[in-house]
Amino acid sequence: MSARVGIIGIGQSNFQARRDDASYPDLVREAVALAMKDAGLGFDEIEAVVYSLSPDAMVGIGNAERLGVDAVGARNKRFLRINTGGATGISSVAAAWTHVAAGACDVVLTAGADKVGECGDSQTVLNKIWDPIYERSLPLGTINMLAMSAVRYMHKYGMTEEDMARVVVKNRRHAARNPHAHLRKETTIDEVMASRMISWPVKLFDCCPQSSGGGAMILASERWIKARGLNAVWITGLAHSSESYYLGDRMGRHVVADHADAHALAASFRKSYAMAGITDPARQIHAAELYAPFSNTEFHSIEAAGLAGLGQSPAMLREGAFALGTNAGAVVNASGGTLCTNAIAVTAMARVAEAALQVRGDAGERQVKGARIAVASGNGGDHQFFGTMVLEA
Amino acid sequence: MTARTRIGVVGAVIKPCIAEDGRLSLEERLHQALHETLADAGLTTKDLEGIVVAANDQYDGRAISIMMASAPLGGVDRDILSTPSAGEHAFVLGALRIASGQFRTQLVAAWSPTEASSIAEAQRLAADPYFHRRLPLDELAAAALQANALEHAAPGAGELAATLLATGRANGAHAYPDLVAADVVQGRPTRWPLREGVVPAPVTGLVVMMLASEDFIEERGLGPVAWISGMGWATEPAFLGDRALASAPALDAAARQAYGEAGVTDPGTAFDLAEITDVTPYQHLLALEALGLAGRAEWRDRLAEFGPTGRMPVNLSGGVGSLNPVYCTGLIRIAEVANQVRGRVGRHQKEGVRRGLAHAASGPAMQYQTVVVLEATGRRTAA
Repeated sequence: MSARVGIIGIGQSNFQARRDDASYPDLVREAVALAMKDAGLGFDEIEAVVYSLSPDAMVGIGNAERLGVDAVGARNKRFLRINTGGATGISSVAAAWTHVAAGACDVVLTAGADKVGECGDSQTVLNKIWDPIYERSLPLGTINMLAMSAVRYMHKYGMTEEDMARVVVKNRRHAARNPHAHLRKETTIDEVMASRMISWPVKLFDCCPQSSGGGAMILASERWIKARGLNAVWITGLAHSSESYYLGDRMGRHVVADHADAHALAASFRKSYAMAGITDPARQIHAAELYAPFSNTEFHSIEAAGLAGLGQSPAMLREGAFALGTNAGAVVNASGGTLCTNAIAVTAMARVAEAALQVRGDAGERQVKGARIAVASGNGGDHQFFGTMVLEA
Repeated sequence: MTARTRIGVVGAVIKPCIAEDGRLSLEERLHQALHETLADAGLTTKDLEGIVVAANDQYDGRAISIMMASAPLGGVDRDILSTPSAGEHAFVLGALRIASGQFRTQLVAAWSPTEASSIAEAQRLAADPYFHRRLPLDELAAAALQANALEHAAPGAGELAATLLATGRANGAHAYPDLVAADVVQGRPTRWPLREGVVPAPVTGLVVMMLASEDFIEERGLGPVAWISGMGWATEPAFLGDRALASAPALDAAARQAYGEAGVTDPGTAFDLAEITDVTPYQHLLALEALGLAGRAEWRDRLAEFGPTGRMPVNLSGGVGSLNPVYCTGLIRIAEVANQVRGRVGRHQKEGVRRGLAHAASGPAMQYQTVVVLEATGRRTAA
């Protein structure tokens, strides 16, 4: 493996339901400007751009990355776009890592934005990810898709609706400390339980919001970073893995991946850990930013990350694990996570950004004390594409 | 790219025009092409370490079109990414992923269906929704504006374009006799100065390529191999009003990157052949200039050099002017050159190709530009 690649700049919007004051390229530019300021760089030093954009339909513009070229300062530079659905943000950071690790560039920007809050109805858009003949008319959406995962997880491991609500309460408490988070109001188990049923057992408060905002990160080679005496967060492990497209392939006697669990996410974490030399994640990881857009999916993500055994994470949460201030293992989603902010094109990038801020010691009121190793993940498609990353100070 | 390993193309399957007979779904066709590519490379699915695909949601009629392709291309339990910006960007990222040392093999694929009720309408969705979308600004219109700009900047370009179109169509008829007619029959203007018959109607196509690192190729004794000795890519902005359409600055930049890596100092004499992405013959002329093959002052005198029997044939495949599977035309150009270097391109094979040049372009009026130099014996640059 080649020399290390470091993160030297991070920019995130303060995500909101609507950003009527900013066009789509404006939002991208907002995040880029923040990342450039964080890194102390000018555009001349950016050699390539990886553009982070999930379904075009979410912003209502075909190949909307084309309209973002000037927003990211890419004119006459290397430029390409990544789309792996919800995983796009972490896949884009991985592609930026690839540019540097390959020796193609020393400094690469990855950036994007989304206006999910202004798309009308994200579930109508997301229904179009399914096969037009067999599945689209059911009607599938990402909420009922992962509600089925919740039902399966309940059946296998005994998770309750209160367990799910406990995730919401934890993450809202975390998000209240994060100025970038969209949903920053704390809540209670009773409020979650009383919220409107969306797709049993997933209630309104178990769901992520539809957020608008941008994200950007700047990556550079170790040689370039050291030559300038810069501080960096190092990406020491990264991988992707995928499940099948058809949900029906995750059921039945000869199934490879059970829809209760996150089979490919676990596979991706194993590869990332092997690359980073992590042998005991439950003891070695201090902070985890895991892509979980619905409360129930945080449990199987925690388990896929090796922070708990299969089916054990609900009981651990009841005992106070995974929350800021815990003395037992990693804090999960100290930012409030995807459950409190979901601008889909950059949500998984925000997971990497927040993990990087943790090991950099710059996470403010949401800082995990003494965090030196953090992990991030992203999920995309119909719980199909999974990206993972290990970050170290 | 200061490549830490040599990277070679070890398999490539091009389907530039698939009959829409309804016999096979796109998933089945992709799966079929995967196995044809693996057979071409002498490999099996077990050898796939990673996959990069490219497709266009609007043409596919899906959101996140990579999802459908994951299983047919072997993506389950593997690392698969997509680059929807351009088909050729899948090749770029696939090569980078091997160069990074993280992978030893990459499958690269792009496809372009024609089931959308109107590809022009799908393209118009890419225009700015407030100012430009109400204009009939599809990619054919953008290409026509570019043609007008070039004709204005280089009077006589239209006459040369007609010559290029005839040569390309004859090449296409030789390369793919069942799919391309040599005659160019121009009808009424569609987007001035482009007439009916100049830009072929969109067809369904796909292309799949297999890339591998030098150590993997040596370990498995693979061949023939087209080695990537130089690769460059760059973009222009989207707004046509922000661009000088009679020039191609992003192609200048991409060519500089690729030639720098490949050690090419005189592109005019460096290559045995080239494939250029030419939705219109005007784009062909612009590319000749930006690639350093012939400046506009030389076009009239030097076009014969680029004919099928010339010193450096361009588009022996016939180019996009013969077959137009819209979204994957760029990646097809790279695959055509790779198979020329590998000696496996078919009827239009040129004997003894040692070094070829591939140009890929995508987006309105060639917004995205990519240049790849492929050689029978690759050049390694220092780590």
